[in-house]
Amino acid sequence: MRLYETTFLIDPTLPEEEAEQLIEKMAGIVTEKKGKMINVDKWGKRRLAYPIKKFEDAVYVFFLYKGDVDIPTELERNFKQTESVIRYLTIKMEERENIRRLKKGASRAVEAPPSAPRAKEKAEEETVVEEKPVKTPSEETPGIETAAEGKQKEKKEEEKPVEIPSEKTPKIEAAAEEKQEEKKEEEKIEKEKLEGKKKEEEKQEKKNEEVKTQAKKKDTETKDAALKKKREDTETKKNEVVQEKEETAVKKEKEK
Amino acid sequence: MAREQRRDRPSYRKYFPPKRKVCRFCERNIRDIDYKKVDILRRYSSERGKITPRRVTGTCAYHQRKLGVAIKRARLLALLPYIQD
Repeated sequence: MRLYETTFLIDPTLPEEEAEQLIEKMAGIVTEKKGKMINVDKWGKRRLAYPIKKFEDAVYVFFLYKGDVDIPTELERNFKQTESVIRYLTIKMEERENIRRLKKGASRAVEAPPSAPRAKEKAEEETVVEEKPVKTPSEETPGIETAAEGKQKEKKEEEKPVEIPSEKTPKIEAAAEEKQEEKKEEEKIEKEKLEGKKKEEEKQEKKNEEVKTQAKKKDTETKDAALKKKREDTETKKNEVVQEKEETAVKKEKEK
Repeated sequence: MAREQRRDRPSYRKYFPPKRKVCRFCERNIRDIDYKKVDILRRYSSERGKITPRRVTGTCAYHQRKLGVAIKRARLLALLPYIQD
């Protein structure tokens, strides 16, 4: 016993009553051959996708029945004999697969706990398999990366010694600058000294002149001027001594 | 490997990996394709009445086979055209 589906197209010009009779006749053949009619589907008149025997429309009838092999052959023989049937098609419904599927479903239901870990294992295997090719490039790429990193490190290492002298040089420069500054300071001090001396000399000269002029006028005042000169000289000497002391201190700092 | 190679390509040529198509019959857990359901079959045939290839629709091999058979049956019964112009 198998499940069949037979479709046939009836001439649209055929009156509905005759068409109905034809369908009943065909259904009778199925029942005669000890077949079990499951469903009779009548679509009625329907437009064809392409003309068959110069008919643009046709009446579609579907028989779904269960039976032996002789039923479809008998049906097809009848279709051939009747001219009003334009086209027919019998299809063997694949019941076997459905059964297998049902069995599969049952087996799955039963073997659900063991099948699940299997699936997991499979998944793991797959993942492993996938990882292997992934790993090789990943290993390669890290290698390259490490190499690159190593290069970078080397560069850094190279940079470091460069940086150290660069750090040293500023120190030296700073020291030089300090020295220069000190020199400048010394020069300034010397200049100041010179200027001071000059001023003092000028002052002294002026004073001397004044003193001379005054001395000419008053001899007594000359003594006072001399005293003043002496005082001034002593002061200047003292200033010079202080400056020298400062210079020595600066020099000591340098030495330090 | 081909995809990996493509990925390795420089980024100036933008490569968009194709969107993974899933079989619509598998999604709905349909086992058999009926040749009577013309609306469904029409979706898998081109304007000219050709059966659309798997690479376009994304149907799985199993359902493509079923589809082909169903469309051919429908053609025989003039539900679908052999040629449409």
